[in-house]
Amino acid sequence: MTGTGKKKITADINLRTILLPLVAIVVLIVYFTYVNPLFFSYANAINIGRQSAVLLIVALAGTVVILIGSIDLSVGAQVTLTGILAALTVDKFGAVGATLISVGVGALVGLINGGLVTALKVPSFLVTLGMLSVLSGVSNQISRGQSILFMNGSLTDIVNGTYLLGIPNVIWFALIAVLILTIVAFYTKLGRYLYAIGGGEIVAANAGVPVIFYKVLTFALAGAICGFAGVVMTGQIGAGTPTAGGSLLLNSIAAVVMGGTALSGGVGGPHRTFLGVLVIAILTNGMDVTEVNSFTQDIVKGIVIILAVSLTIDRSKYPFIK
Amino acid sequence: MTTSTATADEGSIDGRSPAAPALELRGVSKSYPGVRALSDVSFTLQRYQMIGLVGENGAGKSTLLSIVNGTVRPDSGSIRINGADVRFGHPTEASRNGIATVFQEQGLIPNIPVFENIFLGREKRFAVGGWLLRKAMIDEAKQVLDELQIDVTPTSLTGSLTFGQRQLVEIAKAFALKRVYPVEPIILLDEPTSALSDMEAEKLFEGIRRWRSQASFVLVSHRLADVFATCDEVVALKDGEVIDQRPINSIDEPGLHELIVGRQRNEEYYREAIQRNPSDTVVLHAENIMREGHLEGVSLDLHEGEILGIAGVLGSGKSSLARIIAGADSQDEGRVDAFGTVLDVGSRQSAIRQGIGYVPAERHAEGIIGTASVEWNLTLPNLRQLGLGLLGLISQSKSRRLTTEWIDRLKVRASGPAASCRTLSGGNQQKIVFAKWLASGARILVLDDPGRGLDVGAKEDIYGLMREITANGGAIMLVSDNLPELIGLSNRILVLRQGKVSAIFDAPKEDKPREVDVVAAML
Repeated sequence: MTGTGKKKITADINLRTILLPLVAIVVLIVYFTYVNPLFFSYANAINIGRQSAVLLIVALAGTVVILIGSIDLSVGAQVTLTGILAALTVDKFGAVGATLISVGVGALVGLINGGLVTALKVPSFLVTLGMLSVLSGVSNQISRGQSILFMNGSLTDIVNGTYLLGIPNVIWFALIAVLILTIVAFYTKLGRYLYAIGGGEIVAANAGVPVIFYKVLTFALAGAICGFAGVVMTGQIGAGTPTAGGSLLLNSIAAVVMGGTALSGGVGGPHRTFLGVLVIAILTNGMDVTEVNSFTQDIVKGIVIILAVSLTIDRSKYPFIK
Repeated sequence: MTTSTATADEGSIDGRSPAAPALELRGVSKSYPGVRALSDVSFTLQRYQMIGLVGENGAGKSTLLSIVNGTVRPDSGSIRINGADVRFGHPTEASRNGIATVFQEQGLIPNIPVFENIFLGREKRFAVGGWLLRKAMIDEAKQVLDELQIDVTPTSLTGSLTFGQRQLVEIAKAFALKRVYPVEPIILLDEPTSALSDMEAEKLFEGIRRWRSQASFVLVSHRLADVFATCDEVVALKDGEVIDQRPINSIDEPGLHELIVGRQRNEEYYREAIQRNPSDTVVLHAENIMREGHLEGVSLDLHEGEILGIAGVLGSGKSSLARIIAGADSQDEGRVDAFGTVLDVGSRQSAIRQGIGYVPAERHAEGIIGTASVEWNLTLPNLRQLGLGLLGLISQSKSRRLTTEWIDRLKVRASGPAASCRTLSGGNQQKIVFAKWLASGARILVLDDPGRGLDVGAKEDIYGLMREITANGGAIMLVSDNLPELIGLSNRILVLRQGKVSAIFDAPKEDKPREVDVVAAML
């Protein structure tokens, strides 16, 4: 009897984590449309996509790290730094060169994060918190606190152009990133190992998974994704700025958790994060459209996040709450 | 009675009958999903008595202690303390009734001083307004420690004490209860000596003998010698049931061991009739394995088709040996080779390449991933088999096929390959752990207590599976706490004592060694 009871709770939690973002999306759309009918339009949908593309890419970086049961608090700072680097290098090396440099630097930062976490056995929370501070300092130093403008138009053209079906390329980039990472998560060894490490690190080690290697690789992958997000963001804004990545960290973690990827690791995935980002994006855009002031927006978002997590968190995984 | 301060044992306490037993359990049962941990357990602890609670791993000792100290609620049955019915919903209520537990893993907070630990959660009587009378607390803690003749300064940091000292502080904490609630302590000692040196252990028991006139004790211990040295009575548990409660002087050590092990070894159960004779081919050889504090030079051969049993008491190094051979731990010295290839030290990958599968003792923490599906668990070490195409993507159909094949072959009861592993019963989870290695083509299996926590039927399935594996030429190294299982299943039994091989028994099906002989080599 207790057996079936337990099973039911498990099923409920799975169901809840899937349903919650979907229900939230529908409710938000209905509500905002009711307040301002202009919300429900093709133009605004494209707008939402444009506003949340970078967030989605960053949230994917956050997702892979959270899947292994770690966390990367430096994602926003990585995007800021690589965005500035892209702005500094695009004139000399072109859009492709700048992208390679940003992605490379992002991967390097991730490698350092992962190396510190595994070699020094310091919790990722602390390592990446330190990295957040270091990267912010570096960003401000190389930009001298100013926005970096650039002449080369190819980057902005590629990011903001509309090559296919009238949808801006930046949205395609984000969607392709979701698609690739979802395939990685479910159809590759790396993906399976991410879930295994997050779900049971010792089990994975006993099964012959080189856990340390894959942990470092995960942080490096997250860094590379952040580097890509940095280039896209700089292309979108048309400049590299030391403050641009500021709101990304909190919003990305909120989106990941809202989507149903558990902070304890091993559950969820990139496809879930897609839904989580959609919730955050619709909420933000809807409040803009319905003229909620930005301070109130922060309050509402904070409350929504706590509510969402309290509904979806699987408490059976935590012996006690810290 | 040596001290004059023990006012508590003057006749009745708190108006309760002095004649009533300190602790009395009647018909206590507790089930967890898939396991019946305790069924209809009854026993009595008289005042100032000390009883030993003995049984194999999984016999239900821990659950029983947890029920008495209020951390687990029984499904049915009654608990009486000093003749009054109690029903605990919380450890605090248990401690209000004088129940104190001295845990294996200690229940003290290391970063606060000793006196704060002694009165933790009961600071109220030292509180004036929002302030704690630190001085009074220290003084009283000192009194408690002095009365018990425990040589620990109340203001020292708990974490700076030795393990043995901390254990004494835990006991002091239990006696301090008496100053807060008008009750006599009932102290539950859970494997108190497992981490102590012989000298520390002796000191602990010396203290306990001194305190016997002020408290009642329940001792859970693997060391039967401890039980004989300290207890008045012994309660033997087996598969969640009390087999016997009897005075300690009515039984000797081998007799007690037989009592613990319980029912006679059943040849049918262990499929002894189909035990094969191993071939002469050595598939795995370990040479002079040393690991500081665990193993002091162990060598062994494992043959094709053989089940080699490893026996030993807790701390004999048998689990460590299993982990080293599987590559999950590294040895300081010595080498392991399998099929003629020397394995890299402490490398699971290297062991897996030579076809060594490992079924760890802690299934939930080390064997299966509860959040992942049956399919993902089973294929975890086998992804290379499933690779396909230029991009190296995992073939979903191959993955599915491999999983269903093994679900069918091992008769795993699961709703399907996508079922979350935590929804499976213990026996089915264990089958998944086996399947993971069988699917990888492992030729050698290292099993650490594979029957732990499984019910009789599930164990039978696992035993049958082991026979099948050896029949097909596989070799098994079996570490187990369960002696009948070990004797029934093994072709040979290697006994470890304090990190060294103390005996090797041949165990052909027509001439199995006697348990007492194996036990004698273990102790």
